Amino acid sequence: MDAKSDDAARDRALALAARGGDRQAFASLVRRHQARLFNFLLRLLGRREVAMDLTQDTFLKAWSALPDWQPAARFSTWLFQIGRNAAFDVLRRQQRIDFVSYDAGNPADEPGDSAPSPEQQYADRQRLRLLERALAALPAEQREILLLRELEDMSYAELAVTLGINEGTVKSRLARARAAALLHYRDYTGEHRDE
Amino acid sequence: MSDLHPPPIAPHVTDDELSAYLDAELAAPARQQLAAHLSVCPRCADRLSAFADLAADLGRLPSVAPEVDLTGVILGRLPPIVSPSRPTFWAGWRALLPVGIGATASVALGLALGAALFGTGAALPGVAAMQVFDPLPPGSLCLGVDSCYTRHANLTGVIR
Ligand SMILES: [Zn+2]
Repeated sequence: MDAKSDDAARDRALALAARGGDRQAFASLVRRHQARLFNFLLRLLGRREVAMDLTQDTFLKAWSALPDWQPAARFSTWLFQIGRNAAFDVLRRQQRIDFVSYDAGNPADEPGDSAPSPEQQYADRQRLRLLERALAALPAEQREILLLRELEDMSYAELAVTLGINEGTVKSRLARARAAALLHYRDYTGEHRDE
Repeated sequence: MSDLHPPPIAPHVTDDELSAYLDAELAAPARQQLAAHLSVCPRCADRLSAFADLAADLGRLPSVAPEVDLTGVILGRLPPIVSPSRPTFWAGWRALLPVGIGATASVALGLALGAALFGTGAALPGVAAMQVFDPLPPGSLCLGVDSCYTRHANLTGVIR
C-alpha cells in the first residue's frame, strides 16, 4: 500500500516535470512503466509485435496528452487508460484478433521459486499454460478487467476510471469474467467432471 | 443444484457479491452478512475459494517484458515541444490577428506539426525498430509459429 502511494507520488513528480517539457523526466516514466504496460497489452492482445507497437504509441500519445493530465489522477491509471483505448481501437478495427498464446516462459523467470522439484515445475507450467488458454478464450473486455485487477492490482474505483464505466459495472463485469475464466479453466483441466 | 443444500441457507450469495468480497470492495454490513453466510454454506465457500484460487494463479503468471528498453526509441519519436503554456501563447496571438489570418496560421501550424509527427522520417524508425528488436524466436513465444507471423503485416497496417 505504502509502496503503491510512494510510486504514485514519484510518478506525479515526474509527470509534472514532463508536462513542463522535461524529456528526461518522461524517459524515467517510460522506464518505470514500459514493462507493465507491455505485459498488459501482450496478455490482452496476444501478439508481441502489436503489443510493442502499442506500448510505444501509448507513450507517444501520453506525451502529447500530458497538458490534459490532472495531477489528481494517478499517472499509471491514466497511462493504462490510454493504452487500453488504443488496444480496443485495434480490436474494433480488426473485429477480432486471433489470440496467440505465448509460452509462460522459463521457470527461472518466476520470482520467489524455492527450487521446486522438476515434476512440480512441470505441473506448475502446465497449470499456467492452461490458465493462459482460459484467459485467451475470454472476450477481450473480460480478459482486460481480470488483468487489470489481478496483475495491476487496480481498485474498483481505478478500474472504473480506466475503463470508463461505473463501479457497479466493474463489479458485475469482474464477476462474469471470473466465472467464465473458471469455466474454461476447468474445462481444460477436466475438473468440471467432478461436479 | 440448490436442493442439495438445506433451505435455511438460501438464498445463496451471487457471484457479484462473492467477487467483490474477495476484492475487499464490500461495505461493512454486506461484508459481515456475507461472512456469516459463508461460515454455514459450503457451496458459497467453495465458490469463493475457486475465485480466490483463480486470482492467485493469475497473480503467478510470469510477467513478459519487452526484449529491449523502449525508452530510446520512444524519446527519438517524441515531437519537439509539449508545454501547457503553448495553447495560451497561440491563443493570445490569435486574438490579436483578424480571424481569417488566425485560422490560416492555425491550419499551417497544424500541417507543419502533422508533417513533423507523421512524416516518413518519424514513422520509419519505429517500424525499423520492430524488425530489429522483435524477432519472435519460434517455439519460445508462440505455440503456433504460423499464426505468429501470418497476420503481422495486416495488423501493423491497422495500427499505423
Ligand atoms: Zn450459499
